[in-house]
Amino acid sequence: MKLNRVGDIVILALSITLIALSLGTYKDFSGEPEVHVRTDGGEFIYDLDVDTFATFEGPVGETTIEIRNGKVHVHDSDCRNKVCIAAGWVSSPGDWIICLPNNVFVLIEGSLDKGDGGGVDDTAF
Amino acid sequence: MIPRSKTNGRIEFIALLAAFSLFLSTVEYMIPKPVPFMRIGLANLPLLIGLGLLDSREYILLALLKVLGQGLVTGTIFSYIVLFSLGGTVSSAFIMYVLFRYGRKWTSLIGISIAGAMASNITQLQLSRLILFGDAARLIAPPFLIVGLITSVILGVFAERFVETSAWYRRALEKQL
Repeated sequence: MKLNRVGDIVILALSITLIALSLGTYKDFSGEPEVHVRTDGGEFIYDLDVDTFATFEGPVGETTIEIRNGKVHVHDSDCRNKVCIAAGWVSSPGDWIICLPNNVFVLIEGSLDKGDGGGVDDTAF
Repeated sequence: MIPRSKTNGRIEFIALLAAFSLFLSTVEYMIPKPVPFMRIGLANLPLLIGLGLLDSREYILLALLKVLGQGLVTGTIFSYIVLFSLGGTVSSAFIMYVLFRYGRKWTSLIGISIAGAMASNITQLQLSRLILFGDAARLIAPPFLIVGLITSVILGVFAERFVETSAWYRRALEKQL
């Protein structure tokens, strides 16, 4: 009746190992915030702490993003309305800027409870 | 499917267990769950109990009847969701049957239940990776597997107890021999 047979224990151990391994996949999401840029040309990932410029090709031309002091914004874009540039600087995980005409999607990913990202945001406040 | 002469008193096991599975599917469907993917797996109880009573062909039939019953109860029988049910049930039935046949000495129904649940969950996760979510499927893996482990232990304990104490099961075994 009890869990006293070898096979049971082996199966249980294997299952728990499997669960532990599957839990490991969550680690990828608890790291430092990263800037993910999805474009026609694929997805690019940048470190939010490294100041840089990056230019992406899209259907209507080029879009340049700038990362400085842990923040990111669209520096220049060949689209018509420049909504992406007007969006300004973003820095918290979950924040995003999108340039629809040029199909450039800038998203900050990372753990929400790191830094001030998990607190009450401006809208809720 | 099974010759008439061989079915005397045997087909009733399949029918009874399949009916039991249909009933348990209904019970499971009534229980509210936070996420639709979270299954308790009550309907697998007849499959655990049937291990000692059925031969391989009858066991496959029971597994397919379980998928059919579950599909009928949840109304998903003509949608792609039935693929998940089918994949999970077939893989867990296969694993449980093999374990029971060749590993009965070393494993109780508890271990077999856990192995079956893991096989079913992994198959369904793989299917959801291929069909629904892509790589994001691994995000639902841990809760999915943990719930599967817990419920399968409970079901396994219950099945083991049932097999040990049920007079019906003993009679059924005698009838089979």
